[in-house]
Amino acid sequence: MEYGYYPGCSLIGSAHRLNSTTKKIFKRFGHDLKEIPDWHCCGAFEYGNKNELTDFSKSNLKKAHGFCNDIVAPCPACYKNLKEANQDDGGSFSILHPLDVFEYFDIVESIDIKHDLEGRLFTPYYGCVLLRPKETAIKNKDIMENFITRFGGDVDGEKVKDRCCGGNQFFINRWATEKLSRLIIDNTHGDLVVFCPLCHMALKTFSENRKVIYFNDLLLYVMGETDKL
Amino acid sequence: MQQTDNNIEHTIFNIEHLNKKIIGMSGYKREDFSVCLGCKICASVCTVNDLSIDANPQELLSSLFLGRTVEKNHPLVLFCTNCYRCTHNCPWGIRIPEIIRAFRETLGIESQFEKAFKGAVKIWGRVYEPYVFLKSATYMLKEGYIRYVPKWFEYISFHLPYKIKGR
Ligand code: SF4
Ligand code: SF4
Repeated sequence: MEYGYYPGCSLIGSAHRLNSTTKKIFKRFGHDLKEIPDWHCCGAFEYGNKNELTDFSKSNLKKAHGFCNDIVAPCPACYKNLKEANQDDGGSFSILHPLDVFEYFDIVESIDIKHDLEGRLFTPYYGCVLLRPKETAIKNKDIMENFITRFGGDVDGEKVKDRCCGGNQFFINRWATEKLSRLIIDNTHGDLVVFCPLCHMALKTFSENRKVIYFNDLLLYVMGETDKL
Repeated sequence: MQQTDNNIEHTIFNIEHLNKKIIGMSGYKREDFSVCLGCKICASVCTVNDLSIDANPQELLSSLFLGRTVEKNHPLVLFCTNCYRCTHNCPWGIRIPEIIRAFRETLGIESQFEKAFKGAVKIWGRVYEPYVFLKSATYMLKEGYIRYVPKWFEYISFHLPYKIKGR
């Protein structure tokens, strides 16, 4: 199947890893991601004028007309903004987060295990906008846990998986981000598994020796696309 | 006395005007807040509490509703993380972080980083991260972000800015 693809600004820059791994996984499952031409920044959380913000994503939907019906957006902020604009516009597209698509691919059952996660401990961390608000949240709020345990790994962090890492304050009040991120880091064990580029940066910056990895990398490891995690 | 009364009236008008503008920007109407039950669930879940700062989004809403002043240094205006915990738990799903964002923008109290972000979007239609970092360089140097650079190597990638066609 072919999906429209909205990478967003961070995936073509600092979150390039999330970009390449998302493409790799879709390809492995036989699906193509076709980038919407000339997409505009979604505005993330930086705009106070709701109309202005929504218009950014509406213009992206306009560009996607006739190009695709389903749009995959890996960055949680882009995903939320695009999904809201689509709902506002009557919902002619399906706006999908990769985690929902992975659920649909039934990755937990369909993967041929190359490396299991036996004896390893992980803290799956979703952060804020994948789970909130309700209208735009992903469907399976335990998908990362399901995946990890299915492949023999142990999970920690149930209590903090939906807390806020404070990433949004990183370049405004860094101490606030540090305090919030440490609440997550210090109250959990094992490698931190994330999907959001901002969570990745916040947790990575403030974790001393803990590994912070994208969920995609975990997936690719189990699938045998990489030998090291 | 007359003068003082006029000043007070003028101030009240300004605050009401400002509050109306903020409410409108966030996509709400003043009446929309009349459904707020005062249950303070939003306050009990607000992330800003984790910073050991008392935070009560309900009080901010009622100030806007009643036409009271909200200070620039209100803890939520300064520290709201856009986590949507309040919205998620509010019986009415009131989007408090979006109201706070409208507040920050109206008062022009965005950080250098936020301004640089919007600047890039204006130029290219996208955020070009090297531009944002360059524009916020003085702030980042002053605030000691430089010490984290060794942690950020994996984020480095090279690409030229691309100006999008059409909006
Ligand atoms: S979005 Fe802002 S106001 Fe709402 S709970 Fe989070 S920090 Fe508090
Ligand atoms: S949770 Fe909603 S209804 Fe309750 S006080 Fe907060 S804003 Fe009002």
